[in-house]
Amino acid sequence: MDPLEYFEVECPEKIGGEYYRRIADVVLLDHNLIRVIHKLHIFIDPKVPIFVAVGLIKKLPGVVRLRDFADTNVQGRKVTISIGDETYLAPLLRILWEKFGKDRVEQPDRFTILMDLDPDESAGLEDLEVLDPSLSLYKDLIYALQVIQPEGFKVRRQYYGEGRFYLVASEDTLPENLDDILKEKFAKIGVSL
Amino acid sequence: MILVPVTYKGGIYRNDEIIDLIEDLGGYIIQKHIIAQEVVLQALVPKEDIPLIRAIAKPLTGEITPSPLVGTEIAVITMSLEIHHLPHASCDIAEYIRRNGAKTNMVGLARGFGKRISQLNDEERDVINEHDLAVYLLGDFETCIEHKFQVLRRGIDIPIVLCGGPSRDALKKIIDPPVDGYVGNIGRFMHRTKESDEFEKLDEVIAEITRVIDRQREDIAKDPLSVSPARLMDVIKEQVPEIQDVLSPTPVTVQMSGLRVKLPYDTFSARIKGVEIEEGIRIGDIADLLPSRMRDYILIRIRRFSDTNIMV
Repeated sequence: MDPLEYFEVECPEKIGGEYYRRIADVVLLDHNLIRVIHKLHIFIDPKVPIFVAVGLIKKLPGVVRLRDFADTNVQGRKVTISIGDETYLAPLLRILWEKFGKDRVEQPDRFTILMDLDPDESAGLEDLEVLDPSLSLYKDLIYALQVIQPEGFKVRRQYYGEGRFYLVASEDTLPENLDDILKEKFAKIGVSL
Repeated sequence: MILVPVTYKGGIYRNDEIIDLIEDLGGYIIQKHIIAQEVVLQALVPKEDIPLIRAIAKPLTGEITPSPLVGTEIAVITMSLEIHHLPHASCDIAEYIRRNGAKTNMVGLARGFGKRISQLNDEERDVINEHDLAVYLLGDFETCIEHKFQVLRRGIDIPIVLCGGPSRDALKKIIDPPVDGYVGNIGRFMHRTKESDEFEKLDEVIAEITRVIDRQREDIAKDPLSVSPARLMDVIKEQVPEIQDVLSPTPVTVQMSGLRVKLPYDTFSARIKGVEIEEGIRIGDIADLLPSRMRDYILIRIRRFSDTNIMV
């Protein structure tokens, strides 16, 4: 797995910071997030107390469409889908059931789906969007950061988008100059807000 | 006769002979585990008879090792039962103490986390105070430990061993008034303890607990208990047959100066009070029976010789 290009834990307490570096490392590895994150900077000040994590995401693989993992064969009303990669079978079936109804979607074996569709229904079927990996990534990433942060920091603000993310947490109300803090931490990973 | 705490490990074949031997020599079996083909006994045995037991156990490939924590009940206090603390480090430490013979109970605080917001409620305080010793597992930051520990120790009158991320010296410096034991460099972590240096750290926790427990034992020896808790356990097991129906692994848990009997207080306390130990001496004469805050168990606190003037 590729290591992160930048990974720092900044903390006024040196020993505590080292422990948190190890914790962050283990949690990201456990959640398979190391290959997704490009840069990560964590700042913890137990005196305030505040926890800030800012980072950049690597370029993600785009939306997975039906043609990426299956062959579609349309013969009149009869549509046959041959699955190449089973990973996306479950979300595909869910979408097909929702769109056409369970009684019209048949699955004689693990790798084949048979459907009886009108020509206008089967048009553009190959471009059907099956899964957007970035949607579940957001949840995974924020969950992992919540596991890393010291427990009891219930007041949180989080953001994800445009290839970057942040999470700020504290047990008190968040400081008023939060934007300045975020700007400063993002600057450390080479991003100007 | 001085009884010493030991652990016996051996095969299941003819293990009853060892149990009979220990009982015939005047020792007590505190706990017996059968794990697949292996038997682990935690027992108190007469010091001078250890070579004899070792000789008899040899053909059965049994081993007897001293384990100073047998006969103690220890509370391992974790700040919450969230993924931040479980299973590592809390379970790792609790399990390691358990392997060294102690009966450990993990106390997960409802609101122990955080710095300013951490709290200890009365039920948690009372449950902790029912143990022989409390091991506090705190986090990695000095500032937080200094701030919150004062709240978490309020009302705790049993010895405390404090584990935390900062070094032992740093912990000593920030805790005032001092506690009985400190182990540094073992705070919050998220990985399993499997490296040799991590095991050394766990051994350090055991050594610190043993040191504190030994000091307590010395204190008890100065003014001994009216009856040994292990003997009282045997008496209850013999005379209150209902205890055999309790499915808990230790229906009667031995503590250093008392017992936890896992029977309902309302139904059984009067009966247990009246149980005769020997020649007209009843349990009620030499011990206080209290309702435990752990479920509806009975907590027996044995009174000292100076208080009762009875020794059985």
